[in-house]
Amino acid sequence: MADDRMPPLSCAEVEDLAAGFVLGSLPDAEMAAVRGHLATCTSDHPALAELASVVPALALAVPEAKPAAALGGRILAAARAEVPAREVLSPPPAREPAVRGENLASDRRVVARRDIAAWLRPFRRPAWGLAALAAVLVLVLTALDLQLTGQVSELTAYRAGVEAVLSAAASPGGRLAILNSAATGGPAGLAAVTVDGRVSIAMRNLVPTTGDEVYEAWLIPGSAAPLPVGSFAVGSGQTGTLLASLTNPVADTNVVVAVTREPGPGATTPTLPIIAQGRASPPAS
Amino acid sequence: MARLAAGDPDPLEGLYERYGAMAYALALRITRDGSAAEDVVQETFLGVWRNADRYELGRGSVRTWLLSIVHHRAIDLLRRRRPTTVLPERDDAPPEILTMPDVWQDLAARLDREAIQVALATIPTAQREAIELAYFGGHTQVEIAARLDLPIGTVKSRQRLGLLALRRALADAGHTNRAGTDGEPRG
Repeated sequence: MADDRMPPLSCAEVEDLAAGFVLGSLPDAEMAAVRGHLATCTSDHPALAELASVVPALALAVPEAKPAAALGGRILAAARAEVPAREVLSPPPAREPAVRGENLASDRRVVARRDIAAWLRPFRRPAWGLAALAAVLVLVLTALDLQLTGQVSELTAYRAGVEAVLSAAASPGGRLAILNSAATGGPAGLAAVTVDGRVSIAMRNLVPTTGDEVYEAWLIPGSAAPLPVGSFAVGSGQTGTLLASLTNPVADTNVVVAVTREPGPGATTPTLPIIAQGRASPPAS
Repeated sequence: MARLAAGDPDPLEGLYERYGAMAYALALRITRDGSAAEDVVQETFLGVWRNADRYELGRGSVRTWLLSIVHHRAIDLLRRRRPTTVLPERDDAPPEILTMPDVWQDLAARLDREAIQVALATIPTAQREAIELAYFGGHTQVEIAARLDLPIGTVKSRQRLGLLALRRALADAGHTNRAGTDGEPRG
């Protein structure tokens, strides 16, 4: 599927898109293009700042409403329940090399902060302009931050998916497939098929899906027609996981696991090319 | 926030007491669903708790970025409900606010909810509609144009002019409020 990313925008184009941007009313590709421009451009964007300064008022213009009395207690209880888990999930000491993917998220945050700080450095304006700039920054950084933490969340899910694959492969009769693509650095991952029909997949380096697009997993036993297993969408973290259960388990020991990119869920035949594939075999004893 | 960052969840209670109703009102306005609005609020505050170490005390307004997170999550939820939209999972995290004053710390302190609503009511209906469909409805300019059977250029123009008109109305209201009940300027 074609990349939706836009070419870099000029300052004039960003100013033209200002109202839509501050209201979140642009298509995803334009929103990303404006954020990308603001993160690196050191010029002023007075129209954008002026319009952005108004947006916080909209959040306060809504009718008053009170949530259920128990909501606050639920939130606090949930936070307190996570206290031990936060200690387990604390990032490793700097000396210990972390998984490349873990560093990637924090590195991106460092790069983003540096770029935005560079954008701010030459800015000198009266109080109203600075205040408007703060509102723009909130919009940009909120969206950027949500995107980055979404990637960390996807990485966490990916790691859980890998553990699920390995656990399934280790079950009696389980089979493990290493999924590879033809291109170096392309989509890759692991898949497991169990005797009771469970299929687990964890993949990385996938191009994010848009709209209804999904990645569909297939089992290809011998020379038989591919069997659809299930589908998953992929976000900006470029990882995807799948846990599926087949009604009729595939007993064939000579089965290939393949993944294709489909325009929507429910495909009955694969849309070529195959993104990645591998032969499922019992783990080496 | 420093205590939250240190792993102490208790300050979350105070944060919720101060901003919870505000967050809920915004989420409810967008989702039109009490249960969904509560979910948005819960996820927002838990996101604050989980990522408090990324917020730097003294930089920017907690209220502004917290409400911006609520807005983003509520709009995401709204869009997920639409059959043509597929969005990645997201966790909340307080955005990094660099050393800048909060535009609303002065103005909003002088303006109450009613004053802001009055200001919003003064802008032309067509402009207000174009803004509200975007901000509260999560619609793109293309979707708004289709919905209202307008050229997209008209939608863009209405949004821009509406925001400018709202800015003027709010500035006027702030100035009026600043005079106080005794008619004398404050501050």
